[in-house]
Amino acid sequence: MHTLSAIDLRNKFIQGDLTAVEITNHFLARIDRYNQDLGAFLAVFHERALQKAKNLDEKRRKGEKLGKLAAIPIALKDNIHVAGEISTCGSQFLLNYRAPFDATVTRLIEAEDGIIIGKTNMDEFAMGSSTENSSIQKTFNPWNLKCSPGGSSGGSAAAVAARLCPLALGSDTGGSIRQPASLCGIVGFKPTYGRVSRYGLVAYGSSLDQIGPLATSTADAALLVEVIGQHCDKDSTSLPMPGETYPLQERVAGMRFGVPRQFIEGLAADQQQIFNNSLETLKSLGGTIVDVDLSSCKYAIAVYYILATAEASTNLARFDGIRYGKRSARAKTLDEVYELSKEEGFGPEVKRRILLGTFVLSAGYQDAYYKKAQKVRTLLLQEFKKAFEKCHLVVSPAAVNGAFEIGAIKDPLQMYLEDIYTIPSNLVGIPAISVPSAFTKDNKPVGLQFMGPQKQEAHIFPTAHAFELANGSSKKIPPLYQENLA
Amino acid sequence: MTQQWEPVIGLEIHAELNTKSKLFSVAPNRFGDEPNTNITEVCTGQPGALPVLNKEAVRKAVQFGCAINANVAKFSKFDRKSYFYPDSPRNFQITQYEQPIVLGGTIIAEVEGVEKSFAVNRVHLEDDAGMLKHFTNFAGVDYNRAGVPLIEIVSEPCLHNAKEAVAYAMAVRAILQYLDASDCNMEEGSLRFDANISIRPKGETGLRNKIEIKNMNSFSNLQLAIEAEIKRQAQEYTQKSHLPPNEVIKQATFRWDPESKQPVLMRTKEYAEDYRYFPEPDLVPIVLTDAYINQIRATLPELPLQRLRRYISQLSLAPDAAFFLTSDKLLADYFEEGLKTCSNARNLCNWIIVEFAGRLKDTGKTILTCGITPHQIAKLVNLIDKGTITGRIAKSIADDMLADPTLDCEQIIAGNPDYQPVHDSAEIAQLVDQVLASNPQSIADFKAGRDRAFAFLVGQVMKLSRGKASPAVVNDLLKERLKAKGKDEG
Repeated sequence: MHTLSAIDLRNKFIQGDLTAVEITNHFLARIDRYNQDLGAFLAVFHERALQKAKNLDEKRRKGEKLGKLAAIPIALKDNIHVAGEISTCGSQFLLNYRAPFDATVTRLIEAEDGIIIGKTNMDEFAMGSSTENSSIQKTFNPWNLKCSPGGSSGGSAAAVAARLCPLALGSDTGGSIRQPASLCGIVGFKPTYGRVSRYGLVAYGSSLDQIGPLATSTADAALLVEVIGQHCDKDSTSLPMPGETYPLQERVAGMRFGVPRQFIEGLAADQQQIFNNSLETLKSLGGTIVDVDLSSCKYAIAVYYILATAEASTNLARFDGIRYGKRSARAKTLDEVYELSKEEGFGPEVKRRILLGTFVLSAGYQDAYYKKAQKVRTLLLQEFKKAFEKCHLVVSPAAVNGAFEIGAIKDPLQMYLEDIYTIPSNLVGIPAISVPSAFTKDNKPVGLQFMGPQKQEAHIFPTAHAFELANGSSKKIPPLYQENLA
Repeated sequence: MTQQWEPVIGLEIHAELNTKSKLFSVAPNRFGDEPNTNITEVCTGQPGALPVLNKEAVRKAVQFGCAINANVAKFSKFDRKSYFYPDSPRNFQITQYEQPIVLGGTIIAEVEGVEKSFAVNRVHLEDDAGMLKHFTNFAGVDYNRAGVPLIEIVSEPCLHNAKEAVAYAMAVRAILQYLDASDCNMEEGSLRFDANISIRPKGETGLRNKIEIKNMNSFSNLQLAIEAEIKRQAQEYTQKSHLPPNEVIKQATFRWDPESKQPVLMRTKEYAEDYRYFPEPDLVPIVLTDAYINQIRATLPELPLQRLRRYISQLSLAPDAAFFLTSDKLLADYFEEGLKTCSNARNLCNWIIVEFAGRLKDTGKTILTCGITPHQIAKLVNLIDKGTITGRIAKSIADDMLADPTLDCEQIIAGNPDYQPVHDSAEIAQLVDQVLASNPQSIADFKAGRDRAFAFLVGQVMKLSRGKASPAVVNDLLKERLKAKGKDEG
């Protein structure tokens, strides 16, 4: 059952081939069997999920209309609220924080009869590219348990790759969906900024954050975006447009793909080879390759670490020990409540980014850092706009390499370079997808990234779908998780 | 020779807008409820909560901008202002720093009978903080106020004494009331003043270091604080005239303590906060069309200045009386309600702002809270005008009305024989004769052409009648008798 796509599972449920309880029990059993070693889930909603499954079976029995996600078990990254459940964000600060309301995506998934099966591990407050910054547990890469699944949505990526659930949500501020998707051999998609409501997503970098799907196929990812890509009155940055549907005709013929040569050049030889092979696939499908100039992307990481941390330093200021979450037992004065609660509640990377963000906004430095970074962001926007005059989609690798070993990257700056290909689309607010494209010699998956103009999801999905079918990498399941649990 | 000092004062007025819900959430905007009942996830800064701008608050801010003839920005935006304090649920305030919704504008105020114009620098929208409540061994935070919409009205440093500052602040309050933009209830903190005060020798052009006094919540405190601060600075400069001015007064911020009526030092410039302003990424800019702004401009209600001018030109009220009435919207509305019953505007005004207000002085009540309806006061004025009662009886009736505001003034008259005026000429004639008999000197004075003697005699008759004699009848009879006396001797 775990080899089926989310859409197949739904169809079998609707047709009566599988009950929702069967589907749910199957994936709960897989989680119970594998999660201990994989570390993907932080919380598993056995009762809640089974109750929902029973309701769905009853609903089908009565012949009521079933939703687009009927009986599909879906995992949520632990920074997305489910009312009444704990949202840790991977932080000691929020170990006891029960979300008082549903995120809009949670509401939309449940309205379409999806089954929320649990919450997944992540880098603390989504700050990281390996999930090693989770203060709660490590998550491992299903393809190689010595390796990181990437991050920050590493829990969701590992869960889907190991088929512990067919579909999951992550959040992507600088690549946190696409990089782990690439490292885990699955599809990961970051929508246009504003396509998906951020209401109920614990903010990291508000102008960059987007919720998006991690799936074993483009079709499943597109389905979930159809459901969650709705205008939301509770998020002022939500696009004022109705939801869309994404029919997946395979379409590449006539498409022009822009390749920004500048930022491919630094790539290792084997990765260059993989990337060039992907371009050949696109050409064989009828696409043409053109050069585009995105030279400002060389500043993207610097700009990102100024803007994201500036926003984060204020977004995380609310974690002060006064109203919820951690309050240090040692604190005796108001200042100590602030200082010690943060000291005890935040990990080193979170503290580093709060300090960095505070610095770049402070008087006397704001012009040199924050304001300059905003200008470069505008420049990037213009460059992408120009690039999209020459091509339909921009293609690049999704990550610099396959999965790296846990503990191998110790220098935070080197870790920041992990997101070099994914960050620009967050800065520009455009949709981008990572699709499995190859395996390295040591059998680690690698993804190809397509980036489209704002709101042009409808361009991305058919192309990614066609590429995925021609390439075939997404069909592979990590050997450790192929066993069908009876 | 003593130094002549010129104070330079700028005011920042925070006005809570009386919208139904808060600036960025659907929580009710209401004062006085149980702590932490008017809150949503936005008001307590829950992670994952997002602000959504209240359009009604924008509309009220634009109305204010139009009312003061300011430039309403077609593009404005919000910024985050970072500081840590338990009453700040996100530890940043959402305010408008770089691009406020209103720029410029003029407040016209009457200062000691003279109309003056004061320049406004800007008006911006922001959200209020919660409130700390201290108990014996702990402190709590009430977030009911957190997120209440505020406009901050920032004047130019164009005020030069405490009276100007108070007049300016009263004019601002009046405009807010007339627009129904704010309750302006100062006890509840819906109107609060911060003053920036510096002084300089007359003739000096540059500005010296300023002292900020925050959070005054009454006109009298505002006046008190400014006067005291001007005096203190003058003393400092005088006593330390050997030092450079910027070492005598160092920039600092005080908080006004309403209990002790003293400023309390909050921070000096060395410890000035760095608020790290930057654009609020969770909100989109406010974009307004000309049509929207023009529609608001065209449908503004009558403003205090317009009403003041109408009272003077159409109702013939004295300027100071008209100003007193119109500077409080509720008082002016009370007056207008009375006008529906009584057409003698001058007398009605006098009874409201002199007679009744005088009686209510020191009672803790005002004409608006004492329970007497404007209709009753208007009726009383009508009864005087018709000659049904004398002014003196009316004053006694006013006392009775205040003692029991539910009584109707005609009932009061009917129920008290003392309040029935005496119209009977024979009865009054007796009193007149009695007075004339005992005041020969006044009669002589009258004959010598001293008019005041006549008034004195009228007064004596009225006194003898205990105020009940009809003044018209007294006048007639006195004239008649005096004329007769003149003939007798002639």
